[in-house]
Amino acid sequence: MQIKLGQNLLGANGVIAGEIRRLMEEKGIFLLNLMSSPGAGKTTLLEKTLTALKDRLRLAVIEGDVATTKDAERIARLGISVVQINTHGACHLDAAMVRDVLPAFDLDSLDLLIVENVGNLVCPAEFDLGESMKVVVLSTTEGNDKVLKYPLMFREADALLLNKIDLLPFTDFHLDELADDLGRIHPGLPRFDLSARTGEGMERWIAWLLAQVEGHRRR
Amino acid sequence: MALMESLVRVLASEAPRHNITQIKKVKLTVGALTHALPDALRFAFSVLREQPLFAPGAELEIEERKTRCRCRDCGADFAVEGNLGFLCPGCGGFAVDIIQGRELQIDYFEGD
Ligand SMILES: [Zn+2]
Repeated sequence: MQIKLGQNLLGANGVIAGEIRRLMEEKGIFLLNLMSSPGAGKTTLLEKTLTALKDRLRLAVIEGDVATTKDAERIARLGISVVQINTHGACHLDAAMVRDVLPAFDLDSLDLLIVENVGNLVCPAEFDLGESMKVVVLSTTEGNDKVLKYPLMFREADALLLNKIDLLPFTDFHLDELADDLGRIHPGLPRFDLSARTGEGMERWIAWLLAQVEGHRRR
Repeated sequence: MALMESLVRVLASEAPRHNITQIKKVKLTVGALTHALPDALRFAFSVLREQPLFAPGAELEIEERKTRCRCRDCGADFAVEGNLGFLCPGCGGFAVDIIQGRELQIDYFEGD
């Protein structure tokens, strides 16, 4: 006997993501899904972003990590409420994992909730977390091939942060090649070239993010 | 592997509803943009099919789908070759929707 299903393997995830999105709308919270490959410097970037925003917005963080709590501890030291999701080896967060930790936050007093996704450019692009926006972090030390290798990630992203521009002279990364590839995959994608370490270019990104969150709140 | 576990979860709940105790074949459609590599899926399946839910030697068929887009400006429907070219070949527009290539779907399963 043959049973037709036509069921999306990620279908259940989409339903839960929809619930999260409705809840965030109701509470007026901007949910940011921050993604990158491992080693892109996402946690440092997040620390600097949180430091710049914490006097202007009410913030919280969901930290996705395969096994350790190191990154969550770094965020907690900033005095920001953070919950860690340990994926026990899974390479991405899914909507159910996010939903399950939401009760740990006071959702009535939040403006911006940032999910630091597990470092990986493949699977996180597949899983809708109910986010308001997806931002992908790429660093100059990773080489130019990432954009073409993982086009879905860069196609789905609402902004691209190119980190570690202070290291550009020491890498074979080419900004014009990046612009060319993005032009073919996601023309018009807002891009911020910055260095979380030196602070160069951070202001433009912070101002843009702040405008997104405020625009969302006014809707 | 996570995808295959999700596949087993779906099958474990669907099979009893149709009085199927042993699954002999599963057919999946996998889009090019999903990065779900058919060989990796086949390997994961070869491990998971050891469970009693599956008949010995149960088969996995995978249909691969290329990426296709549709232009919002001129309506052109075009294939994206490799991973490049999400630009409309008709009008050069970049407001395109991905209409194929993101599938990760169980089409059917067979069993007794
Ligand atoms: Zn067109």
